[in-house]
Amino acid sequence: MNRLLNLFRRTKVSREISREMDFHISERTEQLIAQGIPREHAERRARRQFGAYALHKEDAWMTNLIGWIESLAADVRYALRGFAKSPAFAAAAILSLALGIGANTAIFSLIDAVELRSLPVQHPEQLQILRTGKETISFSNPVWEQVRDHQDMFSGAMAFGYSHFNIAPGGESRYVDADWVSGSYFSTLGVGAAVGRTISAGDDRRGCAGTAVLSYSWWQKEYGADRRVVGRTISVEGHPFEIIGVSQAGFSGVTVGRSPAFFVPICSETIVRGAAGSGLDRRSWSWLRIFGRMKAGMDIAQVKARLAVFSPQVFEATIPQNSKVEQQDDYRKRVLNSDPAPGGAAALNEQMTQALWILMAAVGLVLLIACANVANLMLARAAGRAREMAVRMALGAGRARLIRQTLTESFLLATASAALGLVIAQWGARLLTAMISTQSNAVWLDVAPNPRMLAFTTAVATATGVLFGLLPAWRSSRVAPIAAMKAQGRGVTSSGSRAHLAKALVAAQVALSMVLVAGAALMLETFRNLATVDPGFHAEGVLLVNADLRRASFSKERQAEVWRELLTRVRVLPGVRAASAAVLTPVGHTFWNDIVKIEDQPLRPGEEAVVDFNAISEGYFETLGTPLVAGRDFTAADKEGAPKVAIVNQAMARHFFGKASPLGRIYRTEEGNGFSAPVTIVGVVGDAKYASLRDEVSAAVYVPFGQQESVAFPNFQIHGASPVVLIPEIKEAFAQVSPEISIQFVPFTLQLSDSLTRERLLATLSGFFGGLALSLAGLGLYGVLSYNVERRRNEIGVRMALGALQSRVLAMILREASWLVFIGLGLGLAGTLAATQLVAAFLYGVRPDDPPALGTAAVVLAGVAAIAAYLPARRAAGVDPMTALRDE
Amino acid sequence: MKAKNDILQGTLVLLVLRSLASRGKMHGYAITNHIQQVSSDLLRVEEGSLYPALHRMTQDGWLRAEWGKTEKNREARFYSITAEGRRQLEREEASWARLQSGVRKVLRYT
Repeated sequence: MNRLLNLFRRTKVSREISREMDFHISERTEQLIAQGIPREHAERRARRQFGAYALHKEDAWMTNLIGWIESLAADVRYALRGFAKSPAFAAAAILSLALGIGANTAIFSLIDAVELRSLPVQHPEQLQILRTGKETISFSNPVWEQVRDHQDMFSGAMAFGYSHFNIAPGGESRYVDADWVSGSYFSTLGVGAAVGRTISAGDDRRGCAGTAVLSYSWWQKEYGADRRVVGRTISVEGHPFEIIGVSQAGFSGVTVGRSPAFFVPICSETIVRGAAGSGLDRRSWSWLRIFGRMKAGMDIAQVKARLAVFSPQVFEATIPQNSKVEQQDDYRKRVLNSDPAPGGAAALNEQMTQALWILMAAVGLVLLIACANVANLMLARAAGRAREMAVRMALGAGRARLIRQTLTESFLLATASAALGLVIAQWGARLLTAMISTQSNAVWLDVAPNPRMLAFTTAVATATGVLFGLLPAWRSSRVAPIAAMKAQGRGVTSSGSRAHLAKALVAAQVALSMVLVAGAALMLETFRNLATVDPGFHAEGVLLVNADLRRASFSKERQAEVWRELLTRVRVLPGVRAASAAVLTPVGHTFWNDIVKIEDQPLRPGEEAVVDFNAISEGYFETLGTPLVAGRDFTAADKEGAPKVAIVNQAMARHFFGKASPLGRIYRTEEGNGFSAPVTIVGVVGDAKYASLRDEVSAAVYVPFGQQESVAFPNFQIHGASPVVLIPEIKEAFAQVSPEISIQFVPFTLQLSDSLTRERLLATLSGFFGGLALSLAGLGLYGVLSYNVERRRNEIGVRMALGALQSRVLAMILREASWLVFIGLGLGLAGTLAATQLVAAFLYGVRPDDPPALGTAAVVLAGVAAIAAYLPARRAAGVDPMTALRDE
Repeated sequence: MKAKNDILQGTLVLLVLRSLASRGKMHGYAITNHIQQVSSDLLRVEEGSLYPALHRMTQDGWLRAEWGKTEKNREARFYSITAEGRRQLEREEASWARLQSGVRKVLRYT
């Protein structure tokens, strides 16, 4: 009712006003005509003088909008003029924010690429990845064939597996990533061909010929986008595969971070691995991932229910016959499940992704610190402009208007910073990708700007703009005009609250920096511990040569001789001190475990003796510098047919035999439902790291390389003063045996440092961000103290004129600073203890509340704070009483 | 045209009240003319904002408004100042004086 009345009243008012205006305009027109202006001109001019209101009197909101835009433009012009007048302020603010926004965007773009982005395929939201149990997503080919032939819950299902092919026809290997894909792979994803055709069901039949579809990016890089490539062949482990097409642009498989060069059908596995080595019928060999596309109108719950019903039939048909009875029972009970996989499968391991989230949190803190700095800068600037604000207020500017003016400045700063930040982010994201990429695990991430990344940057920039802009805006609009006038622009803001606000901001900066610096200290300590941990072997001067003998198509007997022949040839090369062969090299992230049973020693209840295995030639321990503690090393006589022998490490000896000697004792390994032939322990060696530097050394058994069934992939370790210079001679020596042998060279030190990629990433970046936080906090403290000293010049001058010593003045300013720093450090310590608990899993050899690390962080911060405080304090002590007083 | 000063926001009320206090009953057009003449063309009332302001002031009880006839026998709305308006005028004048002295001080400070 009231509303209606109001509406009525408003229309009545505007009708009255419009009548008045008509009168006004006609009066004005007559006056103008009286001055000799023609009627039509006079009328137009009268109306024009009336301004926008008269022209748009019907829609007043339009006028309001126009007015608002006009005044906004004025605000922007005004702000730009202001920045031009104090370029140092603008540059400092934009640079620190741009670093913060850039770092956030860079890390976000990686997380986006790894976790958030959808695949460039049709309706990625319909894709589901199959799993069984909590996290098993790999299945055997028999399981896939069951799913392929009998599933009815998906409109399409496909499978793929990872491979790494040597595409060089001979000599030094050239490995590229490639994927095994099912015939339904491209059709299920809805990915077409840019040239030729894709792999279809007809290409993926048992006994197929080798065909390959190139990925678009590799086709461009490798073949210069030559369309005549179709019909040519590519060498896959020495077998010619016919190139039938190129997949559509932008598609590089369904695994983020992996960029396969080409795709081959699953059936061609028999060509590459040979009928005997083929995994197509192996029920215990899980190497395929399975994706399904949901039928329209079906929801996830329905799919899961259908899968549960479907599961028994699949697993019953694919039981691995050789495994133990209990394992077969477990296998039968497996249930298929599915998860949405719009982003495909993740190639970066979970831990690397977690590391990215930690870094995201760290750069978030850096940005907060940068915000606090800019807020402080703005506060100081606002103080300098208090008079101007007061005048504008006195002239009738509303408070909201003044807040808007300051906020306009904030958003201009934020926008400029975001623009610069995007440039920094592009560069940073590439650097980051390079940092997490290693020789053995190349990571390809598309970090080019995309709408989501731009949205993120915009959101961050807006949030920062509000964060650092609102507080100073609100403060500056609270100036009482009269007070400002009276004080003639000086000491206006000496009203305590501004100073308190600035100090609180600085204390918060110190606290946040403390968290970052302490975190960096822990990460650096972790990296140092891992890099300097004694692995039980030496990597310096050791070159690893990974050989592949399959191509040379030696007979089985010849293969057993070839590796020894290669070893003998390498050993006599000048400059080689020692050389050996092995199945695995340490810290290569490959495992070989077996369950052992010691003769005459029953297992403790519930114990399952899983131990690490490796097969090595004689001289292995000498080459790697691992000491032989008891017994003997292997000899060339420990070969096929000779009695089975083994060397154990000290951890194994301690675990199973305590103080007794393990020499002469016998063990067997589990094989299916039974046990292997007896093996005699003939030696004990020092403990050495196995698959990773992080893991504690556990029980390990070494068996003679010569007693291995398959020696198709010998890894050679060659120790010399500088073995890398030997590479040409080693190649030559290998070529003399057979030019078909594929070889790959890796310095052992590189393999070790590649294994610390994540730790290096965290240590380097947290160190960098810690340093950034430190310098920002230092600048913040310096700025606030400098401003305070400037503001108190008169007071200090009076004190000195009254006889205060310079040292007293110095102490006074430093005391003010130390309070801030102490409060900040205290809060920071509490925050650190909470935050570092979250990263405990990433640390090695250092506790999350490690006192030396936290102490170092506090001391470093205090040191920086001391420098930041000393400069303004010295300036205060240097105040000349006479000058200061004369100013009064 | 540009050289003429538009009246500062906030001072319009003061000028209208003063004009009506010294000249008695006037319509809007006359008020603009009056301010322009008295200030020797230095001040110009922005016509678009005058009428809404007059209505606001009427609602605040500072002015009385009634429709009447001009000398040329045309319909116009005439405004006159109320007692409440006179008190407001005093307040506005005092505030203006303060502002003026403040601004003067600011300008003198170098």
